[in-house]
Amino acid sequence: MTQTRPAATGHQELPGTPREHLSSPVTRAAAIIQYRMLTAVREYLRGQGFTELLPPVIGPVTDPGARGAKQVDVDYYGHRYKIMTSAILYKQASLALFDKILCIAPNVRLEPLETASTSRHLAEFHQIDVEMANASREEAMALAEGVVGAAVRGAVAGAAEELAWLGRDVNQLSELVSAPFGRRSHADAVADLHSMGHSQNPDAEINWVAEAILSREASRPFFVTDYPKGSRGFYDRESRDRPGVLRNFDLIATEGYGELCSGSERESDYATIIARIRETGENPAKYGWYLQMLREGIPASAGFGIGVERLTRYIAGLDAVWQASVYPKVPGVAAP
Amino acid sequence: MSLLRADGFPEETVRARAKTGPDGAFPDPGGYGNTLYGYTPAAGQPGDPIDELRLVPPVFVPQRLAKLIDLTREPVYTDVALDTVIGGFPSALPVYLSAFGSTQAASVDLGVAASRQAGRLGIPMVVGENVTPVNGYGRIEEDPQRSLLARISGYAQEVADSRGGVAVQQSTEDADAEVWNLVYSDPNVQPLLESGRLAFELKVGQGAKPGLGGMTVLDAATAGRLADAFTIDPAVGAEHGTRLRSSSPGTFTEEILRQQIRLMRNNYPRARIWVKLPPARDVREAAGVAWSAGADAVTVDGAEGGTGWAPLAFLQHAGLPLGECLRRIGDPPSCLLVSGRMWEGARVAKCLALGATAAGLGRAALLAVDTDPENGLVNLIECLALELRMLTSALGKYHVAALSREDVWAAGGWCAP
Repeated sequence: MTQTRPAATGHQELPGTPREHLSSPVTRAAAIIQYRMLTAVREYLRGQGFTELLPPVIGPVTDPGARGAKQVDVDYYGHRYKIMTSAILYKQASLALFDKILCIAPNVRLEPLETASTSRHLAEFHQIDVEMANASREEAMALAEGVVGAAVRGAVAGAAEELAWLGRDVNQLSELVSAPFGRRSHADAVADLHSMGHSQNPDAEINWVAEAILSREASRPFFVTDYPKGSRGFYDRESRDRPGVLRNFDLIATEGYGELCSGSERESDYATIIARIRETGENPAKYGWYLQMLREGIPASAGFGIGVERLTRYIAGLDAVWQASVYPKVPGVAAP
Repeated sequence: MSLLRADGFPEETVRARAKTGPDGAFPDPGGYGNTLYGYTPAAGQPGDPIDELRLVPPVFVPQRLAKLIDLTREPVYTDVALDTVIGGFPSALPVYLSAFGSTQAASVDLGVAASRQAGRLGIPMVVGENVTPVNGYGRIEEDPQRSLLARISGYAQEVADSRGGVAVQQSTEDADAEVWNLVYSDPNVQPLLESGRLAFELKVGQGAKPGLGGMTVLDAATAGRLADAFTIDPAVGAEHGTRLRSSSPGTFTEEILRQQIRLMRNNYPRARIWVKLPPARDVREAAGVAWSAGADAVTVDGAEGGTGWAPLAFLQHAGLPLGECLRRIGDPPSCLLVSGRMWEGARVAKCLALGATAAGLGRAALLAVDTDPENGLVNLIECLALELRMLTSALGKYHVAALSREDVWAAGGWCAP
C-alpha cells in the first residue's frame, strides 16, 4: 500500500538505471576523485597518529541525533537491532582501544521525503569519522580543517584530469583551503539570517534553506559553533560556562554546497548523559551497553564526521550528492 | 453494538445521542404536552468542580446588538459560529477526538470507525501512544487494519482538504519504535504534512492514572513478544492467562520537558507540536514550560478522563479534577485543550469559558461509534454542537471563542490561581 514519489517541493534529476549511472563519465570521474580524496585523508590522519578501525554495521542502538530520519530495524536473532545512522557511540567506546581513531563508516538514515529535493541528502552514505581522547573542540576543528585540506590536495594531485573534465577550477579549489576557515557562532548566523529576512528558529538547527543561503554568501568554508541544546544529540557536550549552549560545530562549504561536517566535544559523564538522553526523549534502557561503558569510565573526547559523498560533491563541483555515490539511494526512491 | 461498557459514565444517554443526533439535546418528545420539565438536582457528578458551575446568561447583551447590526435581524442560536483553530489545525468545532491508546476496547474497528467520522466532521484526531509498538504501523505488516496507518488513512479519506489534522502521540517506550520518525518520512502521510495538518503529541502523562504510564492487558504470547520493550507483570492476571503491560511514566524535569519540545521542533519543523499533561499538582508550571518552549497546544487530561485500563486506586483517588486544573492554569497564553468526561455541550462550554480552546472526546466517542459505526460520533457531536450554539447564544455571544469567565458562576466563588 506504500507508494513512493518525490517530495512535492522542488525537483531534481534522479539517477538513471544502474547501468546508465555506472556507465556515466560523471560517475566515473566522481569515483576517481573520491578514491584519491580518501587515500589522501587516510594518509593525513595516519601522519597525525590515528589508527583506522572497521566500524560495526548493526547494533542494538545507534545515533538518535538525526533530524527526523527513521532508523532501519534488523531482526537479529529475535532482537531488534539497528543499522548504524552514525558511528558516534562506537567512536566514543573505541577510545578504550586507542586515543585517536578513524573509520570510514557506512550510515543509513531514512530521511524525511522533503530531503529528496535538497540535492544533498542520501539515505545511504559514508562518513569520515574521527575521535580523539582528551581533545578540545578547537583541536577537533583544526583537525577537520586539515582533513578537508588533505582531501582537496589529494584530489587535485591525483585526479586533476577528472576535475578539469567536470569543469572544476583546480587553482580556485586549492585557494579555498589555503587559509584558515572562517568561524561564527550559531547565534550570529541566526542574526545574519534574520537580517536577510529569512526565518530561522533560534533554538533549532540551521534549516536547509538557510544553510544554503549562508553557504552561497561565503567566500571560504566556515565553521558554525555553539549550537543550542535541543538541536543536537545527547552526546554533544553542554558548555559549563554557558548552559544551553553546546561545545559543537558544523563545517559549511561555499557555493551553496552546505554542511560537510558535524563535530563536538563529547559528554562523557554518566549522570549527565542520562539526563541528556531524557532531554532528547529517548529511553535510556536501550543504551545499556554504552551507558555501562560510561559508568565504568571512558575518556573525555572530541571528534567529527565528514560526509564522504558531500565532500566529493563539493570538491568535484557536482549538481547533486547522488552523483558522488556509485549506488545512490535518494530518500524515498527505491534503488539497488 | 458490542459488549463495550463504561460504568460510571452516562452511557445510555451517550448511546441515545449517537442514534438520534440533535434530538438528544431535548427531553423525550413523547412527554411533550403531558410532562412538566425543570431542574433535576441529580444531574452531573457531585464534587466535580465543572459540573458544579452554572452558565449564567446576562440581560444586557452588547455582542448581540453587534450581531443584530451585522445581520439586520435579531440573531438566534443558529447564528453562532463554532469554527476554531486547535493546536494549529482549522477545525469545524471546538472539539477533537482524544487518543484511545492501544487498549483492546479501542482497537481495530472502533478506532478506524471513530477516525473516519472525525475526518467527516472536520475535527482533529489524536492517535494514542503504543499503537505502533503493540498493533504495528501498517506498511508491511500482515494486518494493516489494526495499525496506526489504518487510523490515519481512514481519517484522511474522509476529511475535507482545509479542515482538521492528526496528532500522533509518542511516549518514552514509543521512542524505541521511532513512531514520529516513521510517520514524518512516510509517503502516505505526506498530504497531511504538506497541508500543515500533522502534529506530534509528546505524552507526559494522562488523566486516569497520573504518575503511571500506559497500561494494557495482553495474552501471554503477545506479552512475551513485547517483553523487551515494556514492563510485563506476571502477577497480575495470572488466573486468566493474561499479563499486565505497563509503560514507564517517563522522567521529566523542567529542563527535560523544555528540551524535548525544542528537539521536536528541531527535528520535525513541518509538524505541529502538542504536549499532553496529566492532572498534576504542578500542571500550571508544566503548561508554562511547554508553551514557552514553543508547543502549539497543551492538552490537560483531567482525573475524570481515560478510556483504558487503570488501577482502581488511581481512578478513584489520584489526580486533580479538570476544573481544578483549569483554575490553577488561569488564562492560558496559547492553545489549551482539555479532556475528561466530555460528551455534551454544557461541559464543553464551561471549559471554553474557563480558558480552553477545545475539548476532547474519548469514552463518549468510543461508545458512539460502538452504537453506530457509520454515524454514531457524527450524531453525538451534532447534538453537542446544537447545545453549544444554544448556550453561547443565550450568553449573548455568537462565536464560541468569545466565551469567558464572566459566563460561569460557582457557588463558592472561582478563585484565581
